[in-house]
Amino acid sequence: MKETKSYKVFKVVNVIILLLVVYITLFPFLNVVAQSFSGRAQIEAGQVTLIPKGFNVLTYKTILHDKTFWTSYRNTIVYTVVATFISIVMTTMFAYVLSKKRLIGRKFFTSLAIFTMFFNGGLIPNYILIKTLGMTNTIWAMVIPGAISIFNMLIMKSFFEGMPEELEEAASIDGSTTYGTLVRIILPLSKPILATMVLFYAVGNWNSWFGAFLYLDKSNMFPVTLYLRNLLAGATSGQSAGATAADDLTQIGANIKAVTMVLTVLPILMVYPFVQKYFVSGIMLGSVKQ
Amino acid sequence: MKQIIEVSKQTQELQVPIITTPKRSVVLKALKKDWQLYSLLVLPIIYLVIFKYIPMIGNIIAFRRFMPGGNIFGEEWVGFRYIQMFIGDATFWHVFKNTLIMSSLTLLVCFPAPIIIALLLNEVQSKKFKKFVQTASYLPHFLSIVIISGMILQLTASNGALNSLIEFFGGKPILFMQDANWFRPIYVGSEAWQTMGWGAILYLAALTNIDESLYEAAKMDGANRWKQTIHITIPGILPTIITLLILNIGSIMAVGFEKVLLLYNPLNYETSDVISTYLYRVGLQSSNFSYATAIGLFESIIGLILVYSTNFLSKKYTDNGLW
Amino acid sequence: MAKILKKLVFLVAIVTAISSLLAGCSSDKSTSSTASSAKGEGMKGYAVGKTFKADKPLTFTTMYNDAAWYPFNKDWLLWSEITKRTNVTLKQTVVPMSDYGQKRSLLISSGDAPLLIPKTYPGEESPFVSSGAILPISDYVKYMPNFKDKVEKWKLQPELDRLKQADGKYYVLPGLHEDVWPDYTLAIRTDIFAKNNIAIPKTWDEFQAALKKLKEVYPNVTPFSDRWSTSGAASPLGALLQYAAPTFGTVGGWGTTNYIQFDKDKGKFIFAGATENYKQMLQYFNGLIKEGLMDKESLSQSDDTAKEKFVSGKSFVISSNSQEIVAMRDSMNKTLGEGKFSIAKIDVPGGPKGNVIAGSRLENGLMINAKAKDDPHFKELLQFVDWLWYSDEGQELAKWGVEGTTYKKENGKRVLMPDVNFLGLNPAGKKDLRVDYGFGTGSFAYGGTTDLLQSTMSDEEIKFQGSMHQNKKVLAADPPYPMESVDQEQATLLSTPLTDMVKQNTAKFILGTRSFSDWDAYVSELKAKGMDKYVDLVNKAYKEYKKKSN
Repeated sequence: MKETKSYKVFKVVNVIILLLVVYITLFPFLNVVAQSFSGRAQIEAGQVTLIPKGFNVLTYKTILHDKTFWTSYRNTIVYTVVATFISIVMTTMFAYVLSKKRLIGRKFFTSLAIFTMFFNGGLIPNYILIKTLGMTNTIWAMVIPGAISIFNMLIMKSFFEGMPEELEEAASIDGSTTYGTLVRIILPLSKPILATMVLFYAVGNWNSWFGAFLYLDKSNMFPVTLYLRNLLAGATSGQSAGATAADDLTQIGANIKAVTMVLTVLPILMVYPFVQKYFVSGIMLGSVKQ
Repeated sequence: MKQIIEVSKQTQELQVPIITTPKRSVVLKALKKDWQLYSLLVLPIIYLVIFKYIPMIGNIIAFRRFMPGGNIFGEEWVGFRYIQMFIGDATFWHVFKNTLIMSSLTLLVCFPAPIIIALLLNEVQSKKFKKFVQTASYLPHFLSIVIISGMILQLTASNGALNSLIEFFGGKPILFMQDANWFRPIYVGSEAWQTMGWGAILYLAALTNIDESLYEAAKMDGANRWKQTIHITIPGILPTIITLLILNIGSIMAVGFEKVLLLYNPLNYETSDVISTYLYRVGLQSSNFSYATAIGLFESIIGLILVYSTNFLSKKYTDNGLW
Repeated sequence: MAKILKKLVFLVAIVTAISSLLAGCSSDKSTSSTASSAKGEGMKGYAVGKTFKADKPLTFTTMYNDAAWYPFNKDWLLWSEITKRTNVTLKQTVVPMSDYGQKRSLLISSGDAPLLIPKTYPGEESPFVSSGAILPISDYVKYMPNFKDKVEKWKLQPELDRLKQADGKYYVLPGLHEDVWPDYTLAIRTDIFAKNNIAIPKTWDEFQAALKKLKEVYPNVTPFSDRWSTSGAASPLGALLQYAAPTFGTVGGWGTTNYIQFDKDKGKFIFAGATENYKQMLQYFNGLIKEGLMDKESLSQSDDTAKEKFVSGKSFVISSNSQEIVAMRDSMNKTLGEGKFSIAKIDVPGGPKGNVIAGSRLENGLMINAKAKDDPHFKELLQFVDWLWYSDEGQELAKWGVEGTTYKKENGKRVLMPDVNFLGLNPAGKKDLRVDYGFGTGSFAYGGTTDLLQSTMSDEEIKFQGSMHQNKKVLAADPPYPMESVDQEQATLLSTPLTDMVKQNTAKFILGTRSFSDWDAYVSELKAKGMDKYVDLVNKAYKEYKKKSN
């Protein structure tokens, strides 16, 4: 089909706009990466833009040589994988059930879920609950309290509701059970939303430190975000112990924020391309006659 | 006396299977037939009850005086004391107004932005370019709040990029962070920058669900790309848009605490101070959990009302809703 | 199905609520008047100069403030040495320093706090007093000979009295300093001052004249660009006003949280933010701004931006402390070149009310869980705390470590062992005093004799301390005004908007966006926000306190 001239113009303008978007989002990020490799003096004098100046990897070295850093990184990976898995299973179950119009009490259960988005008990009751359940200082305190994000669940639910009912009817006529329909028909068709949810939950779990702070008091169980947050607080606190600061300490203080960010983001950046694969269009929906 | 009560209890129990309401038998039948479906409910509901509803009892301290270190449910009933306290607190209403305004502005700007980005990306033909732009666009989401506020302060400094631009065009440098009028634009602008790429992901996923054949049919009918967008693309992702809109409106009381805390200063309190930062300063002087909880309940109720009414309106006019 | 579930939820909720309420009711509240004697035998003959040693091995739980620079290590020499000398093993609840205060508050509020709660600054114990969760330690200091000894020797009782709550007792064991330890002041480019024959200013007037001269020589430079307006406890020119205010006879910046000041002549508290003295201080700094001597952005820029200006030579004066002066010097060695500049801290300039500094000799210390009272080894606990935190031996152990392993004494001076480094004092050392051994950390090593304190200071800093002690008079601390919890609730709600208003207008008056002819209008605005009501509450509490202590 021939494209109209105005569409051609639009396409050019579109590219320009998107390049602008890239500029304002990529540039600050690269600036931070550059700072993470730069020397303190240059950073404080404002000389660093996109390229590291006064190349310095002291902060990286200090952190990467710290055993605690690696322990906490391992912790984060474990917590993220387990938590994301549990969350995906629970959320998919919940979203699927609530998307079925034939469910009795559907409105009630959905309200039950939405209500919890607005009301929570606060830090102290939550802490006491976890403590009473004996979950403090265990991995369960990290993966269960946040298992279902109602926000995510509702989004999944709306996706499931958008799937044609004929698919399920065809399946049940063929004698498929509910479980079977869910696993063999619905899920394969839901790859984009599943991928999105995996991404959301994984990133959320990766960045979370608050649960760890609340429920863990053994430092060898801390996730890396808590470790880095603590590092940041220590490096930037104005507490002077009445003694001179070493050259090292101040170098680290200058770009600890940048280094922290790079170390936190790196794994996600590496994982994201794999997730992007699933945002593939045109999956079989055209095969069902409306 | 006891015996009589027990006997009558027994007769009541005996009566139940005989006089069943139609609803009850329908329920039992459905449960038996569709047990697999209902079984999927069990774990999530248990989760909700234990981890969400039981802690909610803690909110009772909004009506009882709570002393840190004492009984977690408060020491004594004080009725509406704390509610009256915040109703009569002029500063509270000021920050309440600020919270609403800030949230509404954020909604106005940051809600359409990801949609637009997703639609623009959708028009890009080169897969590589599309991937590149998408990846770059969500990078700000990963910058920590501390870094972002540092960037904003640097950007708006008298020798920062913004003022360099202004001076280039012959203007005088503006001390942005000292002027209360600039806070909202700066806050909302940086929010948009931070969230538009990440928010687009969801819409991009939704876009993949749209049937390709619809576009083919429209092209044959002579519709141009713009008409296609209006009549196919947008309706195609409308359920997602509506869901997110309702949820965002519901969370209108939740303005990002940490970001405001890092950006505000006494010179712009007038527009920057929101409920969470105000409570933070109050809390620094005396940990009045009860007061904070009372305000929290107030915010929750508002959120709930907003969600219900938005959902109601949306169902009425667009047939889409949360439930 | 739905109905049954609904009932179930309701039932669970009610049961939990009722049982917790009942449990709450039956928990015993400490009645302060009776239990003033400690359980347990205590060590026989424990006194000043004696190392505490328990008769049999004991374990006490404690919170530990984990700083990421020296992550908690259960194998530290610190722990084993403490156990060796005292027979006490500490069981730590590790909390990251980034959120220590919040976790501490959470643990105490949920009844789960350890027995010892260190790293608590005076004032931070107040919210927990009325519930009885924290021990009224003043009742038990009679079992702590080292603490009492230092309080007497250094005449700290008036400052301790400041910590008393409404019931006349105090609830926190502060760290004790022999002398006030001033840190924040102005840092200047001494080379530029010298080049232009400008003498080091000793008063604020001299300071203004010096800046003027600098402006004449360098018309394109705004000589004074300050920091610490946005970081820490956010207050415009927080550090600067903190050390300047006493010289103007008032309080300000970080030096106050509620602008309440004691007027010795009137014998009652006043609201400093509305006084003539405060106005004069603001007028002084406004003068600096008006004449282009002080950078307007000082009031809102980030510390990084302010430092950038100083470090790259775009400004010549900035507020500083002992850590920052060294850090800035290091940066400038790279940006301006070593030997091409020199910077130093100067004594805080004197003002209309003289050469005075405010400061407390109380430092962060610890709180003790009220449950400790019921521990059969309560007395031993008190003596242990007394030894570790207040005895010379305990303090030296906490700060320097073990003689022969981490440090040795040369000519009466403490010197690190050759292979041990601490904050750059011994760069050749491969091991770090804190990271590898656990000494010199933030939970135990605070306060103490001036000699001990200065043992880890640089020569430059020691010179500064000496000069300040010689030339400045330390103002007496204000008396306390502990409030009942009901009054405290109201007071907080009044004080927060008042403090906000003072901070806002401090900035506006200094910047000149509000003219001083508006001062009376400003005071009326404060009145309208409840200033008089607040001051009345403060004075009411003060009168009650005076009655009780007489």
